[in-house]
Amino acid sequence: MPVRTNKSIGSGHAALGALVVLRRALARAAVHKVFLNHIRPIRLRLAVHPTLILNIPLKRSLPFNFSPIAEFYLFIYLLIIIFLTFFSIPPIPLELTLAESRQFRPSLPSLPPTPTSQSSLSGRGSPRSTMAQPFVKKDDDRDEEEEYSPFLGIEKGAVLQEARVFNDPQLDARRCSQVITKLLYLLNQGETFTKIEATEVFFAVTKLFQSKDTGLRRMVYLMIKELSPCADEVIIVTSSLMKDMNSKTDMYRANAIRVLCRITDGTLLTQIERYLKQAIVDKNPVVASAALVSGIHLLQTSPEIVKRWSNEVQEAVQSRAALVQFHALALLHQIRQNDRLAVSKLVTSLTRGTVRSPLAQCLLIRYTSQVIRESNVNNQTGDRPFFDFLEACLRHKAEMVIFEAARAITELSGVTSRELTPAITVLQLFLSSSKPVLRFAAVRTLNKVAMTHPLAVTNCNIDMESLISDQNRSIATLAITTLLKTGNESSVDRLMKQITSFMSDIADEFKVVVVDAIRSLCLKFPLKYRSLMNFLSNILREEGGFEYKKAIVDSIVILIRDIPDAKERPKTSDPGKYIRYIYNRVILENATVRAAAVSTLAKFGSMVDSLKVRDRATLYLDALDGENSIDKSEEDVKEFLFGSLDIPLINLETSLRNYEASEEPFNIASVPREVKSQPLVEKKAQGKKPTGLGAPAAGPTPVVDAYEKLLSSIPEFLTFGKLFKSSAPVELTEAETEYSVNVVKHIYDGHIVFQYNCTNTIPEQMLENVTVFVDASEAEEFTEIASKPLRSLPYDSPGQTFVAFEKPAGVPAVGKFSNLLKFIVKEVDPATGEAEEEGVEDEYQLEDLEIVAADYMLKVGVSNFRNAWESMGEDNERVDEYGLGVRENLAEAVNAVISILGMQPCEGTEVVPSNSRSHTCLLSGVFIDNVRVLVRLSFGIDGPKQVAMKLAVRSDDMSVSDTIHDIVANN
Amino acid sequence: MGIWEAFLNWLRSLFFKQEMELSLIGLQNAGKTSLVNVIATGGYSEDMIPTVGFNMKKVTKGNVTIKLWDLGGQPRFRSMWERYCRAVSAIVYVVDVADHDNLSISRSELHDLLSKPSLSGIPLLVLGNKIDKPGALQKQTFTDEMGLKSITDREVCCFMISCKNSTNIDTVIDWLVKHSKSKN
Repeated sequence: MPVRTNKSIGSGHAALGALVVLRRALARAAVHKVFLNHIRPIRLRLAVHPTLILNIPLKRSLPFNFSPIAEFYLFIYLLIIIFLTFFSIPPIPLELTLAESRQFRPSLPSLPPTPTSQSSLSGRGSPRSTMAQPFVKKDDDRDEEEEYSPFLGIEKGAVLQEARVFNDPQLDARRCSQVITKLLYLLNQGETFTKIEATEVFFAVTKLFQSKDTGLRRMVYLMIKELSPCADEVIIVTSSLMKDMNSKTDMYRANAIRVLCRITDGTLLTQIERYLKQAIVDKNPVVASAALVSGIHLLQTSPEIVKRWSNEVQEAVQSRAALVQFHALALLHQIRQNDRLAVSKLVTSLTRGTVRSPLAQCLLIRYTSQVIRESNVNNQTGDRPFFDFLEACLRHKAEMVIFEAARAITELSGVTSRELTPAITVLQLFLSSSKPVLRFAAVRTLNKVAMTHPLAVTNCNIDMESLISDQNRSIATLAITTLLKTGNESSVDRLMKQITSFMSDIADEFKVVVVDAIRSLCLKFPLKYRSLMNFLSNILREEGGFEYKKAIVDSIVILIRDIPDAKERPKTSDPGKYIRYIYNRVILENATVRAAAVSTLAKFGSMVDSLKVRDRATLYLDALDGENSIDKSEEDVKEFLFGSLDIPLINLETSLRNYEASEEPFNIASVPREVKSQPLVEKKAQGKKPTGLGAPAAGPTPVVDAYEKLLSSIPEFLTFGKLFKSSAPVELTEAETEYSVNVVKHIYDGHIVFQYNCTNTIPEQMLENVTVFVDASEAEEFTEIASKPLRSLPYDSPGQTFVAFEKPAGVPAVGKFSNLLKFIVKEVDPATGEAEEEGVEDEYQLEDLEIVAADYMLKVGVSNFRNAWESMGEDNERVDEYGLGVRENLAEAVNAVISILGMQPCEGTEVVPSNSRSHTCLLSGVFIDNVRVLVRLSFGIDGPKQVAMKLAVRSDDMSVSDTIHDIVANN
Repeated sequence: MGIWEAFLNWLRSLFFKQEMELSLIGLQNAGKTSLVNVIATGGYSEDMIPTVGFNMKKVTKGNVTIKLWDLGGQPRFRSMWERYCRAVSAIVYVVDVADHDNLSISRSELHDLLSKPSLSGIPLLVLGNKIDKPGALQKQTFTDEMGLKSITDREVCCFMISCKNSTNIDTVIDWLVKHSKSKN
C-alpha cells in the first residue's frame, strides 16, 4: 500500500487524536502484543498491512476499503484504546498477562534444532519455515537435490523429543501437525517404536483432542490408527471418537467412524451400531463411504453385526455418489459372498439397472464373471448367461470398465473365438493409447490370451511390434513375449536380439515371463534351439532371483528332454561350459534349483561321451552327496527324481552292471560308499530318461574311461598294473603361444606316466617326432624307463606323447621335473597343404612339473564322516599339532591345507564362516595302495593372525597316517 | 447496569484471561460427567451413559478458561488416570457419599494415585457428591473415611456438593478460579 500522508493527517481531529493514542499504545509494545494475541483477526490484518496502523487515511479509506467486519474490529480496537487510556490499568495484572502472553509463542528457540534442519537443509532456516514453504525451498535446491523429501534423515529420538509439544498447555496446532507428520513418516519408513515409546506418544496424542483445529484432528485420527496400541489402552479415545462421530463436521464424523471401527471390539460395536447404520445412508458421501469401508473391515471380525446392515447397504448401492456406490457394492457382495444364489440375484438385478460409478461397474463385471464361472457347470449348452452384459460394457464410456469387460471375456472358460473378437478389438485400440497404463493392461491381457488363443491375437501383431520400442520396459517385455508366442519362425532371431538388449533392465518377474515364452517358442520351433539355448545359458549367468533361475534351469531341462537336437548338443559342442553353469547353480541356489541342476548334471553325466565332462558331473554329484548342509535338498532331489517315476528294477540292475564294468576300479574296490553314490547318479540319469524319451531299457551306453583305454593301448605301459589316479591337466605353456602343451599325471602303484597333450597352433608348420625331454635330476626316486614320441603333429590337431618313470612301489615319492619339448619343424605350403621334405630340429622350453603328495590321494568323500571316523577306530590314529604361521584368515589356511593333502572335504566343512576364530574341517580320501584316510583338522587363529592346526589322521595303515603327517610337516 | 457489568467482564476477560487444566477423576458413577455439565451449562440429567475413555471440555468462568479432562471411572481406565493428571493445575476427585460400599475402594484408589511421584504437589480438591441422597455421609465422617488428613504434601480441600440440586457448585468454581490465579 502506498504511503499517503499529506492528505490524510489533517482529515479529522478525532481521528488524529485516536492515531496519537494508537501510536502511544504501540510504543508500549507489550500492550500491543497482548492485543495481537487476543484479537487475532485484527492482528492478522495489521500484520499484513502495517501502513494501516501508522498512516491510515482514515476518513477516505474507512467507507471504501474496509469490510464491515474489519470496521467492527477497528471499532473495538479503538474502544479498547480508550478503555486502556481512561481507566487506569492495574499494573500487576498486566504483568501477569504479559507472562501469559509469552506462552503464546511456544518455546521454539529453546528446542534443540531437529536433524531435519541440520542434515538435509544445510542449516538453512528452521524446520518450521521449511515445512511451511516446501516449494520455495525446492526452488532453492533444485540444482543440487532434485527429489528431496523434507523429512529425509530425521531421527526417531529427536522426533520423540519434539512430540513433547503435545503436552504444552497452549497448543500450537500447526507445530503439532508437523510433529505428527514426522512420526507418521517414520512409521511408514519402517521405523518401529518400542512399547513404551508408542504408549507415550499415544497418550500425548490423545491430549490433542482439546484442539479445535480440523487439520490437527485429522492427523490425530491418522496417528491413532497408525499406532493402534494394545486394546486396553486405545479404548481411552472411544468417548472422544463417539463424540466426533456425532459432530457437525463431516470430516470429523467420517474419520472418527474409521478410527472407531479400527479400534473397536464386539461389545462396543453393538453400542455404536446405530450410528454406523445412520452413517451408511448419510447424505455426505465421505461419511457414507467411511462407514461402508469400516463395514468391510468389520466383516472379518464381527460378521453377524455387519450382516444386519444389509438394508442400509442396499440403499447405499443406489447412491448417486460414485464412491459410495462402489463401496456399498463391495460390502454387499462380501456380505452375501457365501450365498451363491444371493450373489447371482444381486448381479442379475444390477446388470439390468444402471450402475453409475465406473469403479462399481468394474466390480460388477468381476462378480458377473464369477457367477458365469460357477453357473458354467450346469449350463454347458446354449448361450452364456450375462455375456450380453459384458459385451455391452465394452462400449462403456469409462476405459477401466471397457478393459475390465474385455479381460473378463478373455478369461471366460472355454471362450470361443467369436466371443473373443470384440474384446480383442478394444484391447487392440488400447495398444495405441497414449496412456501407458492402458497399453500395459492391454498387452498383458493379450499376452495371456496368446497362450491359449494365439490366432486371435495375431491381428494385434502390428500394433505390438511398435510397442517393442516402448519407453516402458514392462510394456516392451510383454509385447515381445506375446509376439514370440504368436510370431512365426522367421521373426524369432530379430526378436531375440531385441530381448537381449533390454534383459538387464527389467524386473525378475518379467524375466520369468520372457523365459517361459522362450521355452514355449523353442518347443514350437525346434530348429531355433541353438540361439534360444544360447540365450538361456547366457542369462543363467546373470544376476537374478530364485524364481528366475529356477525358471531358466527348468526350461533348459525341458528343452533338453523334449528336443532331440538339443540333447545332442552337449555331445557336439562345449559341454563343460554347461556343466560349469549348472554346477554354479548347485552351489549358489537353494534346494529346488539344486534339484533341477542335479538332474541336469545327471543327464549330462549319462549322455556325454567326453570324459572330462562326465567326470566332472559325477564329481559334482559326489560333492553334492557328501555335503551335509544340503541334506534337505538331497531329499528333494530324490523325491524329484523318484517321486513321480517308477523305474523297473531290472533296468536299474542292468544299468548298474554296465556301470560297474566301465567304472574306474577305485570306486568299487576301495570305497563302498562311492559305489553307492555312483549308482545314484545312474539312477538319476535312468530315472529321467523314460519321461522324455522312452529310453532304451538297457540304460546309457557304457562309457569306457578314455584315459585307461588310451594307456592300455600302449604296450610299454601294460605291465604297470592298474591305474590309480589321473590328475587334471596341468598347463605347461602360457596361453596363446606357438605350441600349447598340458600334462596329465597318471599314477600307478610303481610307475608314473606323464601324458603330454600337445597342440600346434602355427598353420605354416608341421611338427614331427615330438618328444619331451624330462630332466628328473630333482626327483631322485624316479627313473625314466620309457618314452613314446608323437610321430607328427599337424596344425590344430592335438596329439599325445608319453614319458614313463619307475618309482618305488607304494611310496608317495615326490619330485620336480623340468621339461623340454623337442621336435622337427617342417614348413607347410599353405597352397597345397603339403609339408616340405627337409625339417629343422628345434626345441621349446616348457614349464616345470611337480609330483606332490596330493597326486597320490584320491578325492573320495564319505557321506557320514562321524560314522566313518568311529568305524575306523583309534588304532591307526596319529595326532599332532602344527603352527601354520601368519595367515590372512582362517579360510586361506584351511584351503591351503586341503590343497596340500588333495583330499575331499566332507559335510561342507571346507567353508569357513567369515571372521570365525576357529574351525574344524573334515577330509576324506584314498591314498595309493587303496588305503582309506580320514582327516580331522582343527584350526585356530589368534590376534596377530598366527594360525595353529591340530591334525588327526585315521587310516587303515599306520604308515599312511604317518605319511600324511609328513606331507603336512614338509609343506 | 447489568449490561455494563457484563461488558466490563467481557473486556476484562480479554486481558486477564487465565487458563487452567483440571483432571476430574473418581470411581464410576460418582458424578464426574454430571459435574462437568453442571459447571459448563448448569443443566443436570439423570440419564447418563458411562464415559468410555475421556471427555474433554473447555469451560469459561469469568476470565478463567478451564480445561476439564473428565476421565472414565471404570477399573480399566484407572491405570491411565495418572497420565492425564500430570502437570494439571488441580486434581478434582469426585466421590459418591451415598455409596458406602465403594468408599474404601475410592480411598485406596485416591491414595494410590497421589503416591505417584509425577503428581507430587498438585493441589487436590475432593468433592463429596450426591448429598441430596438419603444416607449421605456428613463432611466430617467423609473426610475421616477418605483419610484426607493424612495427605500432607499438597493443598487439600473438601466440599460436599450435589450436582442434582447445584448445591455448593459456586463454591467449587470459586475455589477453582482462585487456584488458577495462584497457579499462574
